[in-house]
Amino acid sequence: MAKENESYKELESRRSPESLKRLYLENLKLTKKAIKESTGKDNLIIQTIKSIEDLKVGANKLAKRLREWYELYNPEFSRSISDHRKFSQLIISKSRSELLKEIGLKEAESMGADIDKKDIDAILLLAVQIITFYDTKEKLEEYLDNAMEQFCPNTNALAGSLIAAKLLEQAGSFEKLMGMPSSTIQLLGAEKALFRHLKTGARCPKYGIILQHPVVAKSKDKAKAARMLADKISIAVKVDYFKGEFIGDKLRKGIEDKLK
Amino acid sequence: MRKSRIFEVFEQKKGKKLIIYTKNLVHGKKVYGEDLVTEDGVEYREWTPFRSKLAAAIMKGYLNIGIRKGDIILYLGASSGTTPSHVSDIVGKDGFVFALDFAPRVVRELVYLCEERKNIAPILADANKPETYADKLSLVDVVYMDIAQKNQAEIFLKNCRRFLKKDGYALIAVKARSIDVTKKPRQLFEIVRKEIEKELVIIDYKILDPFEKDHCMFMCKKK
Ligand SMILES: C[S@@+](CC[C@H](N)C(=O)[O-])C[C@H]1O[C@@H](n2cnc3c(N)ncnc32)[C@H](O)[C@@H]1O
Repeated sequence: MAKENESYKELESRRSPESLKRLYLENLKLTKKAIKESTGKDNLIIQTIKSIEDLKVGANKLAKRLREWYELYNPEFSRSISDHRKFSQLIISKSRSELLKEIGLKEAESMGADIDKKDIDAILLLAVQIITFYDTKEKLEEYLDNAMEQFCPNTNALAGSLIAAKLLEQAGSFEKLMGMPSSTIQLLGAEKALFRHLKTGARCPKYGIILQHPVVAKSKDKAKAARMLADKISIAVKVDYFKGEFIGDKLRKGIEDKLK
Repeated sequence: MRKSRIFEVFEQKKGKKLIIYTKNLVHGKKVYGEDLVTEDGVEYREWTPFRSKLAAAIMKGYLNIGIRKGDIILYLGASSGTTPSHVSDIVGKDGFVFALDFAPRVVRELVYLCEERKNIAPILADANKPETYADKLSLVDVVYMDIAQKNQAEIFLKNCRRFLKKDGYALIAVKARSIDVTKKPRQLFEIVRKEIEKELVIIDYKILDPFEKDHCMFMCKKK
């Protein structure tokens, strides 16, 4: 009680204009420092996986635009190839007649309009940009692979760098992921469906992001596979958090054998 | 522009709609894209109930928010400072706001606001751990809390016990969804009310619909 009284007096004494001014300056300084120190490797990993996803969406959107544009000039070739990246590379490196020849057509038979070189060059500018989107995405995936292997080797070995990073992203931080029960990890990425289930009694979702993992995707009983994988991931995350020894391969092999 | 029934809050009609404002403490600066209105050389910032639960409570008929010019406020869950900026306008340059939040990303924005407004101090801390920031603030006239956490009532009481002066006011915004999505909001609000009433006197209560779905705000006083 005496101590409480004392701290009350102390708190009261800080209400003076001079004290408030001092607290303003101190808090500003301390808070800036605390923000600086709050950034961990997990923040960098989360921004990386978000960028990879954005690049994927962006490249896809631009590639669809590129095709619409380029098809005015050479529709038959665009139709013959579905891979956006290869398509972008080929239309830059080869002429229309070469490309048509590859699919057994003559220029004279094409529905494509004959447009000026300037017009074609404008289209190819966009193709160049799209290729750099795909290249950047690939480089970031390599960076992510390395970063994950160092940051959380067990989770990485078990789930793969993309899925592990997406789990981190959904959880918000490594610490939060660490504190989650495996049943929550199993449903990360399915929050909307889960909310609908709780509110309206709709079907309860059985898996979120981890459905993308081959052992779940290929399994006949996906719900069971998802539960098993989530259990193992939750162990791997804890081992990584406390910097335990490497058991990622063992965990992965264990689950692959059981689900064969 | 005329005075509203709330201290330092102003109002005027725009067509049929009533709009509330606070006097801008930092001339010419917007905080979150709100409209600025100048009348008789005084600049006012529009305070929209769709962006701020405190504005929503005023629009829903709060007669008093307990915050006056010159007051010292502890604001828990300050985020990037939307509502805190209006509280800073109300208390004015002789008042003070301790604005606390535990998410570094939003506190980064809050720091910029505090650099512009010398009456707000940022604190990066967990409201559930008062011992970690007790040395960073003073006794306060008002505690305001908006943190959307499951155990928010407990956190609220803990802070009021420690930092709120006797007879001081305390406001808490309650989000039903963050407590339990399966129960009816009104039911949950009653549970929160009972918990708060163990230590504080509740003097006003408003549901914030339609501005904020399934939210309410309690205004309390320390015995
Ligand atoms: C709904 S927002 C507040 C919006 C703000 N009051 C406004 O009107 O401008 C809730 C905030 O509470 C913060 N928060 C949640 N739990 C917290 C805790 N235990 N300690 C500190 N801040 C917390 C979140 O980071 C978030 O920024």
